[in-house]
Amino acid sequence: MKVNPAKYYPLIPVYAIYLIMFLIGKNMTGMWELMAMLAFYCALGQAFNIFLGMTGYVDFGYVAFMGVGTYGMALAITRLVHFKGLGIGLLIIGLCLAMVMSTLLALAVGAVALRLRGAYFAIATIGVNEGFRYLIEGAKIWNGSEGIIFFAQMNEAFGREMASALSTFWADVLVLIIAALAAFVTLHYMRSKIGYALTALREDEDAAKVMGINVTKFKIIAFITSAIFAGLLGAAAWAIKTPYVFPPEVFEIHYTIEAIIIVLLGGAGTLLGPVVGGLIYGLSKYYLAIILPGFQLLIFAPIIIIIIVLFPEGTVGMLKNRVRGTTLERYIV
Amino acid sequence: MIFEQLAGNLIQGLVLGAIYGMATMGLSLIFGVLKVVNVGHGAFIMVGAFVTLWLFNALGIIPIFAIPVALIIGLALGFLFYYTVMRKLIKAPELATLLATFAIGVLLEETIKLIFGSEFRGYNWAVGKINLGITVLPFTKLYACLGSVAIAVLLYLWFNKTRAGTAMRSVVEDSEGARVCGVNVDGVYALSFAIGIGLTVTSGVLLTMFIPVGINPYMGGSYTLKAFVIAVLGGLASPYGAFFGGLVFGLIENGSYTLFALLPNVEPFALTRFLSFAMLLLILLIRPTGLLRAK
Amino acid sequence: MALLRLENITKRFGGLVAVDDVSLEIQEGELIAIVGPNGAGKTTLFNVISGVFLPEEGKVFFEDKDITRLPAYKRAPLGLGRTFQIPRPFSSASVRENVAIGAMFGTLADKVSVDESLEIADHYIDLVGLQDHRNKAAGPLTPVEKKLMEIARALAMKPKLLLMDEAMAGMNPKDIDEMVQFLLRLKEEEKMSIIAMVEHIMRAVVGLAERVMVMHQGAKLVDASTTEALTDPKVIEVYLGHSEGD
Repeated sequence: MKVNPAKYYPLIPVYAIYLIMFLIGKNMTGMWELMAMLAFYCALGQAFNIFLGMTGYVDFGYVAFMGVGTYGMALAITRLVHFKGLGIGLLIIGLCLAMVMSTLLALAVGAVALRLRGAYFAIATIGVNEGFRYLIEGAKIWNGSEGIIFFAQMNEAFGREMASALSTFWADVLVLIIAALAAFVTLHYMRSKIGYALTALREDEDAAKVMGINVTKFKIIAFITSAIFAGLLGAAAWAIKTPYVFPPEVFEIHYTIEAIIIVLLGGAGTLLGPVVGGLIYGLSKYYLAIILPGFQLLIFAPIIIIIIVLFPEGTVGMLKNRVRGTTLERYIV
Repeated sequence: MIFEQLAGNLIQGLVLGAIYGMATMGLSLIFGVLKVVNVGHGAFIMVGAFVTLWLFNALGIIPIFAIPVALIIGLALGFLFYYTVMRKLIKAPELATLLATFAIGVLLEETIKLIFGSEFRGYNWAVGKINLGITVLPFTKLYACLGSVAIAVLLYLWFNKTRAGTAMRSVVEDSEGARVCGVNVDGVYALSFAIGIGLTVTSGVLLTMFIPVGINPYMGGSYTLKAFVIAVLGGLASPYGAFFGGLVFGLIENGSYTLFALLPNVEPFALTRFLSFAMLLLILLIRPTGLLRAK
Repeated sequence: MALLRLENITKRFGGLVAVDDVSLEIQEGELIAIVGPNGAGKTTLFNVISGVFLPEEGKVFFEDKDITRLPAYKRAPLGLGRTFQIPRPFSSASVRENVAIGAMFGTLADKVSVDESLEIADHYIDLVGLQDHRNKAAGPLTPVEKKLMEIARALAMKPKLLLMDEAMAGMNPKDIDEMVQFLLRLKEEEKMSIIAMVEHIMRAVVGLAERVMVMHQGAKLVDASTTEALTDPKVIEVYLGHSEGD
């Protein structure tokens, strides 16, 4: 199969933004934390967009996949810390476990919830997230509500200096890499039959079936892909960066809401959208907290409402319509 | 001993369940008519709780008289948000309506926080209690329960005996058909949303009569989640289903807590929550029309 | 071997019998029209054939294969294409993408790449005359353009049998004549069978089909050659009967 490089042009603006973020963070003092936060929001949007944006199904329990990813890393480190010589391999095992666990959860949830549509799906996924959290707490799985704290194990496994570098630098780099990978997979799906099938089922699921599209299969593909990236993100941005995991934090529904806002701000189902949405959301959250501490949400809520009512296609959605028919069309997807 | 405790908790559960049921009717009404899930549901309950608190603590008005005030405020908020936001989203995808109702909830929470602050508050309306032997019921809880039943009955009568109620039912059945038959569908949407919000704010009064403490701007979240479970128990689109769903939920919540507390090495409160969400999933999977519907 | 064979199909909705014991055979290369007033059960019959509804009784055979219980998405690759009564475009996608989706998941599903599907799409877009709208989103098209796009999308599936639900509703007489000519040409060039459902445009039926099945209240009233069917007293009774009183 020959690969047409022009198909991947739309990655250029996405990767350019990620590179600029990295360079700003690396070279300007005091900017790394802000860039790390923006990278997290971009990655979150990019990962969630693969399911939410491409299928139109609203997974209100999305954060659960980040939660199990965080647990995956935490369990790998706490259980395997005594095997000396694994070194950085331990992190790789942790990332793999995070992917496996989020895949398994996605399969279980998908089997139940993906039979449902619309509001029923959204409510079912809220149920999964909350149910899973309370199961962990109630049955005292993985230390129950006390959570897992593994600063000491991080230090033991990687040495104090490396553990600190992992937490303050490499975890954020990993988040950027995850965002970049998620963008690549998004574009790859868009350019393959998967993307066309997802567009069809998002617009009209019954018509899609009559056109020969196995909608269940494609929904599951998008669901699992999106879940795996969430699991990785939990492992990197939560477990490695802050080596502890508490059920009420990693299953907090507000992260799902933030992800939805980012996708919507940028433009659901677009490639560049989650990046733009992540930047707008992250920057305004950051600066509002400085300018008007305590009032961020009061200002945010009406803005969100106005955007939903007046600009439902999001920034990149609108931009896409603008550049239709120009050369920019090849870069903005 | 354990049976007495269980029986006592079940009585409490039934009383609370009636209030839960009433507190979910608004959610089901709005979903039934507009096909919109109000993710900001709990925030409207919170508004009702603050109305009660403020009337009682600042003006000395007892919670029973807070009911009509809450209803009027709720209707007003309902019409306001319908005409400014929801009306434009009737045909929008779920993503838009879910996020919009969530944002409305946040707006309410933050506004209340701005006015009243975010600390936990409560009020003390002592009017005596009855001792049933196995459990003690303050009259406030009984009033709240009776109030819930009365409101449910009134809503039923209104639905079935008035023209507006009939129009609403016709829109639930088939909005296009109703439009063709000359029903003012937009008007029905507005009225349903307003009544749904009115009921929900009112339920905030009744809930604080049962639990007069822990009132704070962010108290709504857990009620939203409970309301989802209850609404699904009742079939999501049926206000009466929701009322009975509330009774079932109240019984299961209190009954299972008593039983889980007997197990070693678990957290009974969390397991009770787990059970309710497991129930939600099970019902959505095997009987999405709710427990009570025959079909 | 009949291309499509329906044996005693019955479909009920609650107490309502939407399709009542209908049998029908289509040979390869045949073009037949199904006519009947609104509510006669035509669209329901189409939905049974394409797998949107499962019938309570009866069987559906496609190329002698029993497909009665086959999921809808497995029928398209066998060679069943259809258009909808009210067009159902994938609104946010462009016309080209819409039509390409037909090629990607129809009978060619395993044989064509995305690029090839887009080329096939271009061919059929030209064929139905939508070349000026190729890269526009399908949502804002006019109803007639949507109808044409759906036909292109169904053709891109390379079906053996094309089910056309109200292909000519809302068109003016000139467009109808053009559409009839177009379908006749298609039948020859693409070597496909067509079942065209027509509510009340007799002008189209006469020019189009050599065979007509008339449905009334869910049941098959007449299945005969066009001239025979349209002069049948029973047909005149149900179909034109009401006009006598006007």
